[in-house]
Amino acid sequence: MNRTALIYEKGEGILFHEVSKYFKQKKIEVITHTEFTLYQPQVDIVIDLDSGFTTNKRKWLSLIEQEMGADIPIFSSAHYYSATEMASWLIHPTRLVGFSPIAIQDRNILEVSRPLQAKGIKNEDEKYALWQTLGKTVEEVADEPGLVFPRTIAMLVNEAVFAWREQVASQTEIDIAMKKGTNFPFGPFEWADQIGIASIVAILSGLYREFGEERYRPAPYLKKMFYANAHFDVDKEERSC
Amino acid sequence: MGRGIVEVMARQEIDVYLYDQDRSAVERAFVHIQNQLDKQVYRTKISEQQKMKMLAAIHPVDQLHAFHTCDLIIEAIMEEMSVKQQLFKALEKVVSTSCILATNTSSLSVTEIASVMQNPKRMLALHFFNPAPKMPLVEVVVGVHTDQNVAEEMKTWLKQTLLKEPVMVRDAPGFIVNRVARPFHTEAYRMVASGETSKTQVDKILQDAGFKMGPFQLQDLIGIDINYAASMSVYESFNHEPRLRPHPNQQKMLQSGLLGRKTKKGHYHYE
Repeated sequence: MNRTALIYEKGEGILFHEVSKYFKQKKIEVITHTEFTLYQPQVDIVIDLDSGFTTNKRKWLSLIEQEMGADIPIFSSAHYYSATEMASWLIHPTRLVGFSPIAIQDRNILEVSRPLQAKGIKNEDEKYALWQTLGKTVEEVADEPGLVFPRTIAMLVNEAVFAWREQVASQTEIDIAMKKGTNFPFGPFEWADQIGIASIVAILSGLYREFGEERYRPAPYLKKMFYANAHFDVDKEERSC
Repeated sequence: MGRGIVEVMARQEIDVYLYDQDRSAVERAFVHIQNQLDKQVYRTKISEQQKMKMLAAIHPVDQLHAFHTCDLIIEAIMEEMSVKQQLFKALEKVVSTSCILATNTSSLSVTEIASVMQNPKRMLALHFFNPAPKMPLVEVVVGVHTDQNVAEEMKTWLKQTLLKEPVMVRDAPGFIVNRVARPFHTEAYRMVASGETSKTQVDKILQDAGFKMGPFQLQDLIGIDINYAASMSVYESFNHEPRLRPHPNQQKMLQSGLLGRKTKKGHYHYE
């Protein structure tokens, strides 16, 4: 069965490249929004990688809704906004599903969050069918920015950045400590570079905005690195500092 | 923890004095190590000959003056500031001037422990992880007065002689691991608080992402009381920094006696 996914190309950092690669490997045709507006092919699913942290996500989602049939599901990054808030911008709010595109290649589970507007709709199998044919197990979790894995990683990275900036230890030593002392698969700085600082800052800022709790405030230096489009490079720490 | 550290030393055939002021406690510790080594022989991890060499390297003692020829002391007594300070004051009177003094504290400030010593320059923390014979990491914690050369010397020795993975840390609450790992545990409680995400889901999702265990599985293994104590210690040491605040449900688990695998009930049930 030929399937086509429209992927919004304005996703943070490395996400567009990674998700497109994943779909292409799975023989799903990928088109960008720019391509869609040119020749308007049939689309089975819309993938929105943009967290909306620095962009006008509402405008984009409203636009895509005008261009697509009401039955096409929209999987939208829930890194910054809850699914409920994003769905509130749509004429057909139940079509929206929040998800995280982070590490999509490596994970067997796809975390999703459903908007409150979809409460009572029991069977979402059709919406999840494409993911299931790709071998993903879909887990519906609470509709909160960052979902489970991205939120956990963002919090770990934030604490590691605070510790590093307070000169408790170097990035390299913090990474070693977390891998050798508590069996984490990667150190927080390695993880931040894999995921992208833009996504980490978007998740923390989304949680901070949603809950208004100080605990989610991003480390000031993490925000600076985001503005500077910098990355942690644990092997060349002198340069990153 | 002290027993594990003794085993680590003995494995490299370093002469190690196993001390407790209570003779029977020393004997129990020695028998425990002996049993551990017997198990390793049974599992063919070490030979009988290796076991005998290791046991010969361990000298059980109950008098502090036995340490007068030692190059390094590692203290692993209870986590009580005044008790540790008292011990180090007493140790300074019996050890040589070149002997390095270390605490295995996981939650106390090495700077504060050293504050009662005559020569705090030779004092630092060597924080081993449990079980010490298996876990490679050692945090080498440098206090305000610690001589950097002493810390460097210890780091090299841990790596080259004990074959450990040492990291250098400035004296700060929770050092690296106990601090940076806090959100892994405390945030998990927040994620399940509404009941819309289950503990099983959180564990499953994080395992799928590469963690060996999810936070709830891990807390059941560590002990929910131990984990809560670590959370509170870091939170209080940072003067109630909101980022490190434990969740009330974590305390509720403790109050209800659901402590994890050791009580057969925690986040999950074990029969």
